[in-house]
Amino acid sequence: MKDRRQPVLDFNSVSKRYGATVALDDVSFELHAGEVCGCLGENGAGKSTLVKILSGIVVPDAGEIHIAGQPFRPRGIVDARAHGVSTAFQELSLVPTLSVAANMFLPRPKLNRLGLVPRRQIEQEAEQILQAHDVTDISPAALVEDLPLGMRQRIEIVRALWRRPAVLLLDEATAALSDREWLFGLVDRMLQANTSILYISHKLDEIRRLCRRCVILRNGRKVLEDEVAEMSDEAIFSSMAGRSMVETSTRQSSSARPGATPVLEASHLKGPGIEDIGFSLAPGEILGVAGLEGHGQSRLFKALVGLSPLEQGTIAIEGVPTMIRSPRHARRLGLVLVPEERKSEGLFNDLSTQANISLPVINEASPLHFLNWAAERRLVEKVTPTVNLAERYLPLSISALSGGNQQKAILARALLAEPRCLFLFDPTRGVDVGAKQNIYAMMRGFVREGGAILFYSTELDELVHLCDRCLVLYRNTIAGELGPEGLSQDRILALASGYAGGARAIASSGGA
Amino acid sequence: MAKSISLIRKMAGGGATAASALLCVMFVIYALHEPSALSLFGIGNVLNNTVVLALAAMGLTLVVLCGELDLSGPGVIAIANVVVATTSTGTLGTGGSLAAVLAIGAAVGCVNGFLVAYLKLQSLAVSLGTLIACQGIALLVLPAPGGEVSDAIVNTLSGDFFGIPAPAIVLALVGGLWLLLKHSRMGIWLYAVGTDEQASRLSGVNVRATKLFAFVVSGMCYAMAGYVYCAEIGSGDPRISDSFLLFMYAAVAIGGTSLNGGRGGVIGTLAGAGILTILQKMLFALGVADFYTNIFNGIIMILAIFFGQLSALLAGAQRLRKA
Repeated sequence: MKDRRQPVLDFNSVSKRYGATVALDDVSFELHAGEVCGCLGENGAGKSTLVKILSGIVVPDAGEIHIAGQPFRPRGIVDARAHGVSTAFQELSLVPTLSVAANMFLPRPKLNRLGLVPRRQIEQEAEQILQAHDVTDISPAALVEDLPLGMRQRIEIVRALWRRPAVLLLDEATAALSDREWLFGLVDRMLQANTSILYISHKLDEIRRLCRRCVILRNGRKVLEDEVAEMSDEAIFSSMAGRSMVETSTRQSSSARPGATPVLEASHLKGPGIEDIGFSLAPGEILGVAGLEGHGQSRLFKALVGLSPLEQGTIAIEGVPTMIRSPRHARRLGLVLVPEERKSEGLFNDLSTQANISLPVINEASPLHFLNWAAERRLVEKVTPTVNLAERYLPLSISALSGGNQQKAILARALLAEPRCLFLFDPTRGVDVGAKQNIYAMMRGFVREGGAILFYSTELDELVHLCDRCLVLYRNTIAGELGPEGLSQDRILALASGYAGGARAIASSGGA
Repeated sequence: MAKSISLIRKMAGGGATAASALLCVMFVIYALHEPSALSLFGIGNVLNNTVVLALAAMGLTLVVLCGELDLSGPGVIAIANVVVATTSTGTLGTGGSLAAVLAIGAAVGCVNGFLVAYLKLQSLAVSLGTLIACQGIALLVLPAPGGEVSDAIVNTLSGDFFGIPAPAIVLALVGGLWLLLKHSRMGIWLYAVGTDEQASRLSGVNVRATKLFAFVVSGMCYAMAGYVYCAEIGSGDPRISDSFLLFMYAAVAIGGTSLNGGRGGVIGTLAGAGILTILQKMLFALGVADFYTNIFNGIIMILAIFFGQLSALLAGAQRLRKA
């Protein structure tokens, strides 16, 4: 039944595109006084764009927003705040070198008669505000950079709350919180004060706990809006994940050799951003890694090639315990990472495609230290057919290539090192359908030859169709492992949301 | 835990504390060798030699704090110098020429600030352009060394008031203005923008206006430096400031201001300028040949930066152990 009262926030067929990417497509919803509305979606579903539009950071291309019946076109975050919209950002918007108090009152802290900011006074006021929100362990004089992430997140939340906004946006507000009940209590209090809250999350249990109604976004579109109580978990997960057409619907037989010595065996890995992760990778196996953004996958991949420090745990390669010091060292041991950020971590934009591919092994093509172009070409041509990269691209500058061809070049570079184990971090992101097929084929070919792949993807259907097994990360540790029979998008998403069987993960994740 | 880090940081101090300590040590060494340094005349002499570099480096500090770089300083100083040398005894007079050079400094800062903050051009490249253009303009105004600086300027700025040397008053004044700025909203914004532009924007800080402010005020500081410089040399020379740039950056860096922005401050820079000046005098007094001075300048700079970073390194190491 539709609420007949005038909504506090009326978000009316809003669209936003960035170049060719549609971030938000004709999305409408309403928010009423004193209600929490959940907003669920996978990574890249459009949640962040929605938050940015409402906070006044991004201007929508089409559509209208009304607040209490008045048109709402914020020119910036201060303007949005003046209209009663306040946001606790996912990426945290605190300035590290300023004190907690200074951050709390940005951008316009109060002034004394001399026109200066009275440090003591704002610290006292910040202390009162923090205490009013049940935060007693944070000193308002402390610099934000000295505080752990969990405390910063609480400051970010309190900063959005204390101005008593009419509309409050909470964007993944529990990502670093150790005590979620603290936030839930505040939300309940805000509701009694008639604030409307848009609760953006990908954790279903939080949505169920807090929200009566919920909107689900997928690929920038609203796919579902309903009472939470009337939606089954299955319905929610399947509308979040969607049923995108997987072109490779025929699962190929596994080439894993489970009996053999594992190519890579990691146990009890612990470090910043990873908590007790262990797995073993058999020759010929594609082991999937799934997880919603920021649940340790990035740190895990980096730690495996020595880019992120490990405090505990062992890594054994072919049964031999090894300390991996640097990506260079890892490469010598036969472990190669294809990193997440193709543009910033993987490419040398001003070099040709050929030079980009041959870079790590350039010594082999340069007898007497002078580069032999023909030798370089021969080296590169050994691997380009494997990834199906057309020869005519080789002399071109790599920045002129499409995302798909760039990725193929990076994979070719990884293969040139003749690795026994590849760590692929979301290799098909921003890649066209044809190139995806080539990448899948390359992966299958690689494991058939006895190599092993650790494969993270944000596209769950890829994981389901390519992997022999899949580890699901939640809160920086393994929430569960899905074998071939249990591997499905719904199961992955449920585990990744800390829902089914996620209890272990919640229990084991300690301090802030 | 967080508290103990803050405490260590406070005790070890930032770069400004390190620079001030170094300044004291060097002054004592210098005074032991050259007892006249402790006389009023001696102190006045040191201040006289410091004030131009201090003013220029102070302006640069503001831009560096907000996360940008500025090369235009020597250009503005050159223009200020030749404008005062050609107008202060004639058309504009003492006060008029001061107003004129401050306006010129603000205008150059405005151009830099607009191009950097609003058109998002790279500050290093933009200010390199304005540096070269300003040096060209200075040559246009006064093609060869010459001109005359009014006696009023020379006498006021190299004299003293009730026994206090004029440069000391100028430095105390700008130091005081800095402390006011630091505790104003704009001061907080400067640090915020220099630390994390994105977070500042999400916190509602007007990033562009903050950067524009930094560039304009720094332009005026350079102009002021040029004006005071006139009093010292008593005439105009369009190329006189050509060697200033690296010393300005050295003073900023020795003073503990991070060239990445967001950390440091003007007090450290003033100490940094003092260190560089005293070092020259010390080496001169010790009879070290001129061409060795730069070697010592470089070593002192690296030492100062090392000690300035010490507290941050300690805090970082402790945090790592915890994580």
